[in-house]
Amino acid sequence: MRPNWSMRQILLAAAPIAIAVFVFGASFGVLAVAARLPAWSVVLMSVLVFAGSAQFAAIGVIAAGGSVLTAIFAGALLNLRFIATGIAVARSLPGARLLRSLLAQLSIDESYAMSVRAGEPGRPDGRTLLVTGALLYVVWVFGTVIGALLGPVLGDPKRLGLDAAFPAGFVALLWPMLAGRHAVRCAIGGAAVALALAPFTPPGIPLAGAAVVGLWLAR
Amino acid sequence: MAGPLALALVLGLASLSFIMRATGALLPNLPAAVTARTSGLAPALLAALVAIQLTGPNGVIHLDVKVPAVLVAAVLAALRAPFIVCVIAGALVAALLRAAFHL
Repeated sequence: MRPNWSMRQILLAAAPIAIAVFVFGASFGVLAVAARLPAWSVVLMSVLVFAGSAQFAAIGVIAAGGSVLTAIFAGALLNLRFIATGIAVARSLPGARLLRSLLAQLSIDESYAMSVRAGEPGRPDGRTLLVTGALLYVVWVFGTVIGALLGPVLGDPKRLGLDAAFPAGFVALLWPMLAGRHAVRCAIGGAAVALALAPFTPPGIPLAGAAVVGLWLAR
Repeated sequence: MAGPLALALVLGLASLSFIMRATGALLPNLPAAVTARTSGLAPALLAALVAIQLTGPNGVIHLDVKVPAVLVAAVLAALRAPFIVCVIAGALVAALLRAAFHL
């Protein structure tokens, strides 16, 4: 059994991730403001949601002209994986159920991955999750503020190609997930069903169809 | 987007996200078969989001500057470029093509 990481070890390992999360937050802020969301709501979203890909998806739906309900739906479905990570970290978190469910809010992909690396097989390290999660939370919100302030300075979103930034970002989020045949199958199935439904259903239905296919093809 | 609508978006997404993170911590004994299925959601949804972003108002794939932008981003992602590099490269490709061909 490996001893748990020291605070210094955790922070050293988290530093490069924190820089990446800051830049991700700033780009989210720029794009969300370009999608015509009020700057305060962009920052509030990072404060309350703290999930990059879900926030990015929700804003992408709005930028493409989708409704608020579709945007919430897309973002929330992407966050369903946090049920699984929540279960994985539940036993490693201190306190009673209520405290644990609050502390679990600090789990995002990056802090969860760190806690798995620092922990023992089948038991992620709770302290690593909390320290990394808290650090990344601060950095995420700060990055969003900078991006939201920077956005209006940049100019016409379409001339800058910011509309293409959303599909480009989705591809970049998707690619690392394509490890293994199941994930590839889910991705191809999801895209195919969405494209098949898009011409004759309102926005939202193609995404719902993709979600059903993802649940069905996963194993 | 109007303020109240933006607030509805933020609060709706925030409350659902909160519930999902809390659920796992409160109910650690959910059957693994149920949670394993959620792993397929993210790739299916992100691929669908890419596809939908490339369709025009009629819902059919629309060949414009976004297509090469996505291809460049995909190649960069495959080469393990950081997220921000993929995003900026995609935007740059679209912006340059638009400027060059007055699209």
